[in-house]
Amino acid sequence: MATSNFNSPDIAEEVKVNADSAGSGNGSETGADSWPEWQKILFRIAFVFFVSISLPWNGEWYKVVFSIDWTNLHYRDPYDVARFGSGLEIFGRTLFGNNLNGYATYVITLIFAIAVGAVWTIAVKLLKNEAKEYTKLNYWLRTIVRYRAGIGIIGFGFTKLLPTQMPYPSLGLLNTDFGDFTLQKIYWLSVGIVPWYQVFAGVVEIAGGVLLFFRKTTFLGAVLLFGALGDIVYVNFAYDGGVHVYSSYFVMLSAFLMIQDIPRIYNLLILEKLTIPVNYYPAFTKTWQKYSRIGVKTAVIGVFLFLFFYLSLVNFLYDPYKQPSTAGIKQLRGNYHVTEFRLNNKEIPYSPQDTVRWQWATFEKWTSLTFRVNKPTPLDLSNGGGAPMKDISRTFELTGTGGGQRVFHYYGDTVNHVLYLQDKFKAPSGRELGARDATDLSGAAAKPNKKKQDKKDLPDPNWISKAAWANIGDEVKKIDPRAASTRRDREFAEAPKVEKRNRMILRYTTTDGSRVILRGIDQNKDSLYVVLDRVKKDYVLPKSTLDAGKYD
Amino acid sequence: MATINPSLASDMLARKRWSSSEKIIFRIAFVYFFLLSVPLDWKYYRTVFSINWLNLSYGDIFNLAHYSPQFFAQDSFLNLVIILVIAIAITLFWGFKDNENTDYYTLYYWIRVIVRYRLAVGLIAYGLIKFFPLQSPLPSISNLNTQYGDFSDWKIFSLTLGVVPEYESFLGLIEILGGLLLLHRKTTTIGTLIIIPFTGNVFISNLAYGGGEAVYSFYLILLALFLFAFDAYRLYSLLGLEKPTVPNLFHPVFKEKWQYFGRLGLKTAFIFFFVILFGFKTRSGQKYGSYQYPKAAGLTKAAGLYDVAEFKINGEVRPYSVADPVRWKDVVFENWATLSVRSNRRVILDSTNVEEIHKDDTDRNYEFAGSAGRHYYSYKADTVDHVLTLQNRNKNYPADKFELHYTRPDSVTIVLSGLDADRDSVYVRLEKVNKKYLQTEVKRIGRRGSLKL
Repeated sequence: MATSNFNSPDIAEEVKVNADSAGSGNGSETGADSWPEWQKILFRIAFVFFVSISLPWNGEWYKVVFSIDWTNLHYRDPYDVARFGSGLEIFGRTLFGNNLNGYATYVITLIFAIAVGAVWTIAVKLLKNEAKEYTKLNYWLRTIVRYRAGIGIIGFGFTKLLPTQMPYPSLGLLNTDFGDFTLQKIYWLSVGIVPWYQVFAGVVEIAGGVLLFFRKTTFLGAVLLFGALGDIVYVNFAYDGGVHVYSSYFVMLSAFLMIQDIPRIYNLLILEKLTIPVNYYPAFTKTWQKYSRIGVKTAVIGVFLFLFFYLSLVNFLYDPYKQPSTAGIKQLRGNYHVTEFRLNNKEIPYSPQDTVRWQWATFEKWTSLTFRVNKPTPLDLSNGGGAPMKDISRTFELTGTGGGQRVFHYYGDTVNHVLYLQDKFKAPSGRELGARDATDLSGAAAKPNKKKQDKKDLPDPNWISKAAWANIGDEVKKIDPRAASTRRDREFAEAPKVEKRNRMILRYTTTDGSRVILRGIDQNKDSLYVVLDRVKKDYVLPKSTLDAGKYD
Repeated sequence: MATINPSLASDMLARKRWSSSEKIIFRIAFVYFFLLSVPLDWKYYRTVFSINWLNLSYGDIFNLAHYSPQFFAQDSFLNLVIILVIAIAITLFWGFKDNENTDYYTLYYWIRVIVRYRLAVGLIAYGLIKFFPLQSPLPSISNLNTQYGDFSDWKIFSLTLGVVPEYESFLGLIEILGGLLLLHRKTTTIGTLIIIPFTGNVFISNLAYGGGEAVYSFYLILLALFLFAFDAYRLYSLLGLEKPTVPNLFHPVFKEKWQYFGRLGLKTAFIFFFVILFGFKTRSGQKYGSYQYPKAAGLTKAAGLYDVAEFKINGEVRPYSVADPVRWKDVVFENWATLSVRSNRRVILDSTNVEEIHKDDTDRNYEFAGSAGRHYYSYKADTVDHVLTLQNRNKNYPADKFELHYTRPDSVTIVLSGLDADRDSVYVRLEKVNKKYLQTEVKRIGRRGSLKL
């Protein structure tokens, strides 16, 4: 970058001369002067560091990517390609046993980069083979970082552009007191209630990403990314959102991309000097170079913009990944007062203090029954994310939520009017928590209680008869055929896990849905008889203006 | 690639003279932003004269800073449009009288000075009430015991910010930083690069959540865009076109001593009043709690959530029931003199959501604005005769009053008995609930822990 002292239009002629001599024109290959020593050392460190965090070095990532069936995709497939925090993990994920709030991998990578940078510096000095500058290498490093950041943020952005990341609250959540949510839940819900705002946030993230694909708009994209993701880092700390590490990752990448232009802006605006930007761009002269550049760029934009958009749209329309996608029984949907409650044929009158009786009940538009009992219950404090395909594992409607809320998934036999219910709560294992947060692997979660493993304690795998299954139908095919994918088929084809969940089998009767009677066996094998009367609740909160999923 | 435009120098010389279209656009902008920034609206002076200048509070300074012209309508985009029409009309008149010697560079400089300081005040004011987290306070006990679906979207926005005071402070800091950068000519554009996305997000949030500050935040964005326009082309040339770029060449000259000291004095006074004094006043105001909640203290050691263990109306016992239209479900005593009742009785919303700092408790409606599910009563406690006089705080229920005698047989029980506004006799026995809130419990054990609640 050449600059010139210049404060008056009267010396414009002189400037022209200065500027001419300072600029190096089109002729030279890189058009740069030699770099000072400190800049070269910093660059060597930065080079190692950013290559380490921008390219996938994790074997797990390759396993996932190579298992993708590109002929029958799910939105989560390109998402998994785009999502990796990277950094060097061969030295472990903790520094002196401390994971530094999840940042240890990056700190270790930085230490490694400094070490390699030092060796590199010494080596070139000893070999007397020191480059004058790294303009060319810098160009390629920036290219890697640009594409890494662009692809990564687009992966994040689509779940907001087609708002599925933060769903509109279910009826059960709307009926929960504000004080019964975790901070994390409060934040997620607050975005979920304004889907158009979520779309806007998605537009910002995707625009930031797309701008990074082009050299001349890189600075603008980096500023956008830096501002938006900087805010998200802070949000994650404040609300304990668990994605602070991965959002910090983008802040680092965008900060690196901004560095080149900041001295120029300082020179132009603060010093008020004539500023001549000198950027090196490689000349692609050979035909194969031209075509491979165009090919790579087209492929990236084609896959991560157009294909990804289409897959995200399908996900939004038919299979929003945080809420169950099977439609619930229509005549049951709604909020209910629990008018009568009998356990083993003994009536329990309503009292807010009672620890057995249901206080209210809700059938969601999908296959969930929610009710509240005034008795402490273990809570799932994860953020209800990930990409489970089975409705029972889609837990956003119960995670981070207390207040005695119970959420049961049901398979409905609509011929015999029987609901086969299973508790959606399952104590998450450390590994699952880690997988949910992806970059946050502290995983000190409660393990399921494994004291008793008697045969009779194991759940009966045949609790739903063949005849009933025939009426219920195959869950994998319950969504719109346009949303079918190999990923979904594979997950359903896996052998069912032996999961110990609370179960109920309840027969329902209703004439017009205003009164529903449930009778059967509850999770304690007690006989249950419940009369539900429908209530019309007028929520103050405006209805969602952009509904995900298809439940008609 | 450094390519030097051979006509660079002549370009720069040419820019000394403005084209006639540039002049017309500039004149319109000049008048428009002058009308927007200088407080010409007489209604503003009602605020100015109602202030006790010897005993200023941060609320006064905030209300002074919260100016936008409202000549034609209250809080409407219409004002901004009509003022633009007026600006064009004035420009037409000015056009006929244009003097060849008009120094547009100097005019541009001075209108920027006015807009810079106007915008800075607006941002610093909002920044300070966030930095000392007063704008969105922690939720009240009643708010914690209200169903999510019973809040308006705007209320949820504010509650969501309120639960994380440290984040609110951080946002305030960014806003203040943006404001401070405007106080220096050369850092103005960098300030607008912070302000435009920040206030842009505030504007979009106001639209999305039905907030009351959409017009005002848009007005601030207009000012910021005008300031940004000064360097916009230069930044585009440098970063987009990657061409050699000429900086701003105009510098104000203060030749006379009085000019020099006058400038210094005004700047110092501005910083003293709107940054230092305002900052200290806000900080000392913070110890009285948020201005959003009433000040009057509540019944001693009563704050909390209560179960309504017994409820009689005109002597008739009403047992627990989810569907009873009259019976109270639970009651909250706040730390201040507010009592709220959850029942099936409908609430007609008070949905004020324009930011104003009120001195009187009756005007501080934050706790029930945009919130159904509970009725909120302010109360006066006669602690000698043990009488609570309740008045529904919602302006839609002026007749809803209670005159209740209270006894406290033990530390967890409060018995209320007396008459409501219809002269019906009411008897209520309240038992305190040891309610645990998930937000605080999780902080204790961490999100990775396992919790039963």
